[in-house]
Amino acid sequence: MTAPLLSARGVVAGYAAADMILKGVDLDVHPGEVVAIIGPNGAGKSTLLKAIAGILVPSAGSITLDGAAIAGHPPREIAARGIAFVPQEQNVFPTMSVRENLEMGGFIQPKETPRRIEAIFARFPILAEKRRQAARTLSGGQRQMLAMAMALMVEPRVLLLDEPSAGLSPVAAEALFDTIRGINAEGTAIAMVEQNALEALSIARRGVILVDGRNARTGEAAALASDPEVRRIFLGG
Amino acid sequence: MLSHVIEELPQLLVNGLVAGTILALPAIGFTAIYAVLRFPNFSIASHATMGAYAGYVANVWFGLPVIPSLLLAFIIPALSGVACDEVVMKPLRRTGPLTAAIAAVALTIALENVIRFFFGNDLRGYDLPVWRDWRIDLGFAFLRVGPQQVENAAISIAVMAAVFLFLAFTRTGKMMRAVADNPMLAGIKGINADTVARLGSFMGMGLVGVGGMLLGLDTSIDPLTGFRAVLSVFAAAVVGGLGSIPGAVVGAAVVGVGEELSILILDASYRTAVGFIAILVVLIFRPRGILGERAY
Repeated sequence: MTAPLLSARGVVAGYAAADMILKGVDLDVHPGEVVAIIGPNGAGKSTLLKAIAGILVPSAGSITLDGAAIAGHPPREIAARGIAFVPQEQNVFPTMSVRENLEMGGFIQPKETPRRIEAIFARFPILAEKRRQAARTLSGGQRQMLAMAMALMVEPRVLLLDEPSAGLSPVAAEALFDTIRGINAEGTAIAMVEQNALEALSIARRGVILVDGRNARTGEAAALASDPEVRRIFLGG
Repeated sequence: MLSHVIEELPQLLVNGLVAGTILALPAIGFTAIYAVLRFPNFSIASHATMGAYAGYVANVWFGLPVIPSLLLAFIIPALSGVACDEVVMKPLRRTGPLTAAIAAVALTIALENVIRFFFGNDLRGYDLPVWRDWRIDLGFAFLRVGPQQVENAAISIAVMAAVFLFLAFTRTGKMMRAVADNPMLAGIKGINADTVARLGSFMGMGLVGVGGMLLGLDTSIDPLTGFRAVLSVFAAAVVGGLGSIPGAVVGAAVVGVGEELSILILDASYRTAVGFIAILVVLIFRPRGILGERAY
């Protein structure tokens, strides 16, 4: 296998010094692959993505992109290096129009913005239809679509998705997973935290199971999905 | 009594709308700073006074007309706003909005006394052409409108239009709105929060300074010019929806007209109570303000 594009080693991070949520997590994302990060509530899945995106500064461990250290760098620098993060909630600018949200998505590459907005509108016709509407008026599914489209505005090398299907209807969630497959098919590496673990493992090449801030299992997604113990504990089957 | 009210009403409404239009500028400045920096920066009081005195220096000492003087009334408080934020407020903002608000009150007292040190306590007036008021016969009442009032309102409306165009159509304006909407997401998208904080302080305090000079053009100036207006400005921002720029305009109109109409039933010395009453009513019935917080 090729060298990982994104690599986290022994990451310790949290919101208070006395209560670290991540207690030494490892994660590798190779070029072009989808990695599903699953686990029970409070395992540290979202915290891991926040540490990679620069929202949280790890107190120990290393995070590298293409071998260059990025841990502790400000979010804007990490974004400029090619990592796009889509938070679970509050992932759009509610009072700004759909088009303005896309402009802000491409903020670090302003020359490319007009061309990419047209490409996004061609890919997501519903966003083109609603281009002048404020993002707060969109449905949950449309808002997630916009959040993802904003991330695509910089043609990221690694896309970090935090619970993209949370709060969506089954139909909207299925459409969203199709979109994620499409983005990955174009070569974008994706690290995805998802409550719908079976669906996440079906998209992913590899899976990482976190429990209490540590790696519990790591392996091929298909193998994890069919492992009886994993199914019993984490997949409800 | 009723005929008195009917006779007085048009004049009070006009006065209130003009006052509201002028009040809108510092209210926009205050709310813009709140939207970006997330604390009520009460040093707008001394920055409004600073704008009034900067305009006075340009107009009276250097003999410049009103419009170029307004440029100085914008620039000096804008630069002071950035400097004060960097040196005084920035280290304190991390400790929370309450600490920052208290520090801003201390800052405004300090700046006010610096102005007093250089200019003294005397009332000062601008060097303005003497115009006769227009008298308009409405049939049931006479309306008196001062050309200076109209000019002040027109300047205020032009500045507001420029602010709206800046926020709606420029990359920098959109960047500021993005930070006001969702600072964490703005950071993820590569927007530098420090740059936006400086821009917010610059634009906000500049508008406050222009508002201070417009207030002075209507009457006279002294070191308490801004302090006397700060409650009305705060009330306008809260009534419209703290953090909302259109809200600040609506709130300023409500407070401006409300203060004038209060004269019908109260002694004029109680008019500042209207600001308190407006805040009270809004907090009871619509806690997020007329247009809701952080709406553009």
